[in-house]
Amino acid sequence: MIKSTYKKVKRMTTTMRFIHWINFFTIVVAVATGLYIAHPYYQTFIAVSAVHKYVMAWNRWAHFIGAILLDVTFIIIAYLYFFSRFDKPYKKLIPNRANIKEFVEVFLNLVTFNRRKRFDSSHADSFNTVYFTILHLMLLFMLFSGFQLYVQGLESGISSIGGWWPLLIHMATDWTLYVFGGNMGVRIAHHIGMWWIIVWVLFHIYYQVWRTIFWQEGDIAISFGGSKFAKTDSSDA
Amino acid sequence: MEKREFIKKLFTVKNCAVNTNRGKAYYDALYKKCKKRLDELEATEPVKNIDLKEELKVNGVSRRTFLKWVSATTAMLMLPPTFEPLVAKAAELMNRLPVIWVEFQDCAGNTEAFIRSDGPKIEEILLDIISLEYQETLMAPAGYQAEAQLNNAVKHFKGKYILVVEGSVPTAENGIYGTIGASGKTFVESLTGLSRNAAAIIAVGNCATFGGVPAASPNPTGAKGVMNIIKGKPIINIPACPANPINIVGTILLVVLKGQIPELDSLLRPKWAFGYRIHDNCERRAHFDAGEYVEEWGDNRAKNNFCLYKMGCKGPMTFNNCPIVRYNEAVNWPVGAGHGCIGCSEPEFWDKYAFERPIADANIKAPDGGVESSVDEFGLGLLGVAGVGIATHAAVSAIIGKKSKPKEDEPKEEEKERDKDE
Repeated sequence: MIKSTYKKVKRMTTTMRFIHWINFFTIVVAVATGLYIAHPYYQTFIAVSAVHKYVMAWNRWAHFIGAILLDVTFIIIAYLYFFSRFDKPYKKLIPNRANIKEFVEVFLNLVTFNRRKRFDSSHADSFNTVYFTILHLMLLFMLFSGFQLYVQGLESGISSIGGWWPLLIHMATDWTLYVFGGNMGVRIAHHIGMWWIIVWVLFHIYYQVWRTIFWQEGDIAISFGGSKFAKTDSSDA
Repeated sequence: MEKREFIKKLFTVKNCAVNTNRGKAYYDALYKKCKKRLDELEATEPVKNIDLKEELKVNGVSRRTFLKWVSATTAMLMLPPTFEPLVAKAAELMNRLPVIWVEFQDCAGNTEAFIRSDGPKIEEILLDIISLEYQETLMAPAGYQAEAQLNNAVKHFKGKYILVVEGSVPTAENGIYGTIGASGKTFVESLTGLSRNAAAIIAVGNCATFGGVPAASPNPTGAKGVMNIIKGKPIINIPACPANPINIVGTILLVVLKGQIPELDSLLRPKWAFGYRIHDNCERRAHFDAGEYVEEWGDNRAKNNFCLYKMGCKGPMTFNNCPIVRYNEAVNWPVGAGHGCIGCSEPEFWDKYAFERPIADANIKAPDGGVESSVDEFGLGLLGVAGVGIATHAAVSAIIGKKSKPKEDEPKEEEKERDKDE
């Protein structure tokens, strides 16, 4: 019986799934609006005066709200990496023997088209954890470079919430100017960062679908229902 | 109460931005200091025996025009109106200021911007007033006499003169790409020699400040700006292509007035002139926010003064006061005339700003100077490579990939068969 060979394994809590889909939608919004900001790719066909259209301004607003949501989820995720009561992903990032072995095995599983599978696929593996961490680091980079671009518009040094805000951003992000070569260098780096994130998303979706098809453990369900179904020995059932 | 004070302090924290109102106490103290400085300066002998009042009269500039200029300049320098008499006096006392103006690898555009006007501007008249000891474009002597003039000036005004530098300095192959005079002195030698005895250095134009056009990729002459060569001297950068004469005069005026260099930003640009972003003072800003852009030169949108962002305007990333003070006695400025900003007051402007399209579409060089492509081309290439990789993996997976099977699959199948049979 199928029931006896599969075991339900919880992999994502409700909070994690909530964060996952917030991240998904905000990245979609940030990419769509970011492309418009970089090069306005559609025209404003609204027959009212400029002040009512506000198309670029709304795009920038949505981009910024999306960015703030991503920044908030980044901070929560960073916290959960170390202090989650469910799973502490940082444990899978420590380069110890077991993690390196698992990383290599999961990678070999991918490049041998699942002909070789010598690891326990029921729990979060170190390969995917490293891959997820790369996204969070890219989002952190977008946070720093994005805030640098944002603070260029606050050159007056005042903001509706006080002068500490632009000051804080300057202190936190002015290093990007030196690293990437001035205002424009940061802008180019921010824009290229988007492409890397899109590539990341492309592989992420592919890989999860691929796992679902080849591992036959319902991996794609993790982000929706929170669980997958791992194979067990009949004795476990 | 303490909490309230804390919150108040938090919300009024001082930061790195331009502070246009520092309070009465500050300006009173500054006024006294400047007055003292000007009185001392007045007591010294003028280096050049030209009187500003006479000069204005000769050039047909009325006292009223001059005072209007003084008011505008005082405001531009972010000083309160009470400073107007001091600014007027500083202008008069500019004949006490020895200036050596040298020119390196450039087009003399900054000098030209200064002197090519439809009528004598007050800035131009002030150029006559300052004791310009050496200026290759304007001076009468040539050859050996010019060199002698320069040496005399350096000797006579040792430690007092302001060195104005125009043009970038070629450094490749020991600087042989630029030499001056019969002795074949390189520009690097000339600059280091002259800056040794200068009171301060003012680099004007993008070439002298950040290398400008000569430093554009691949920069065959190894062109550099002054601040990348001279260390340990007060340097003021007045970039732009050309630098706005009003910014040059304003800076020199401030030096005369305060006896010190003005407040500078991280790129050594005076904050009073370069503390503002072009985008935030642009007359076409409403069209930017509305998403109304010029799509093509001369189209209907262009005729209606729509935003030039899609034609490559770099106002959103450029800091300069051109939308406020404009050029040619506030007649107009690039965006006003219908061409986007090319970011000429920013470092590397020729490589990263000065193209007539948004940065996403502009061809830029890879950091190693290699392949030239637009950011989006690069991104789409990246996406293409990833897509091909994934497609290949998917195809091979479909052909030779092995789907995992539960250990109990085989008996299960048999079981099914058996069930059927029965």
